[in-house]
Amino acid sequence: MGFGDLKTPAGLQHLNDFLADKSYIEGYVPSQADIAVFEAVSGPPPADLYHALRWYNHIKSYEKQKASLPGVKKALGKYGPAELEDNTGSGGATDSKDDDDIDLFGSDEEEESEEAKRLREERLAQYESKKSKKPAIVAKSSLLLDVKPWDDETDMAKLEECVRSIQADGLVWGSSKLVPVGYGIKKLQIQCVVEDDKVGTDMLEEQITAFGDYVQSMDVAAFNKI
Amino acid sequence: MAAAAEELTLLEKLLGLRRGNKYSAQGERQIPVLQTNNGPSLTGLATIAAHLVKQANKEHLLGSTAEEKAVVQQWLEYRVTRIDGHSNKDEIRNMLKDLNSYLEDKVYLTGNNFTLADILLYYGLHRFIVDLTFQEKEKYLNVSRWFSHIQHYPGIRQHLSSVVFIKNRLYTNTH
Repeated sequence: MGFGDLKTPAGLQHLNDFLADKSYIEGYVPSQADIAVFEAVSGPPPADLYHALRWYNHIKSYEKQKASLPGVKKALGKYGPAELEDNTGSGGATDSKDDDDIDLFGSDEEEESEEAKRLREERLAQYESKKSKKPAIVAKSSLLLDVKPWDDETDMAKLEECVRSIQADGLVWGSSKLVPVGYGIKKLQIQCVVEDDKVGTDMLEEQITAFGDYVQSMDVAAFNKI
Repeated sequence: MAAAAEELTLLEKLLGLRRGNKYSAQGERQIPVLQTNNGPSLTGLATIAAHLVKQANKEHLLGSTAEEKAVVQQWLEYRVTRIDGHSNKDEIRNMLKDLNSYLEDKVYLTGNNFTLADILLYYGLHRFIVDLTFQEKEKYLNVSRWFSHIQHYPGIRQHLSSVVFIKNRLYTNTH
């Protein structure tokens, strides 16, 4: 918000562009908003910024009624087009940030008829409630692990038991089978479903190979996203 | 135009007058006629409108200084001669162009105050503005600004459709 420094030509240019299609800074009647900006402008704008000049002369005609105009005077940074940075310093960073967020859904001017504002708030509230009702979809993957023993005399049942003993939040063991590899050695193929955020394959690998007595190595044979 | 009678009824409501005036139309151009209670009949949109304003005790709407009053009269005359009865596209465009340059340095038609001139010009121009494309509205930027301003004045729009003006400039600045 804000027009930049209104004492510079750039600031006045912003004011001019802002006022091209508006009669007042805020709303459709003169208010303290106009007085605030009027006082920040050091004098009548140059003639080539004719919108600003028109506004300036108009507000000047209200000089005597300055105090009785409606509204509350806010810091200068609060007026004007939303996309301009508030560099008057006194605006407060959080305020302009809020305006940016809301402006994604609506117009980027401060003035809005009460009805349009209310409608927008209503729709926003509806969107939020709908969003919160939707169950959070968790990313899951199905892994097929190959666990290889040292030799053909390794007790596969014990090996499987060890692997299944690994518990973690988001890890569910599935079915398993023994697949012969050669020379009488069988490897254990076991399925599991993991939640991507909670369990990683390196963690699994670490824990499985920790059973060094039984497990020679472990591979991820297949990794499918669910 | 039965539209004239309709417009005068709108004006009555805006001014807060109790309805009861009877309007008739005269001639092929349907000029409105008001039959006053104990006086002569009044003919002509501008005349009747000014009479209603005085009836409603809102004489400030006719202007406060002598110059302002003259400007109001000027625009009332403009309304009746240049706008009513003219629907030719070219004429409308010229009119909007003139109006656009006139409004460049004024918030209201008289400059700084809302008057009957703004009211009657609003009613008179409404059917043209409603049909403008957004590009044209942007071309006549000052007219759009003035129109958007007036249509928000409490009590003026009533059942007329609200014309939408886009807040962001869509077309590159030509001025």
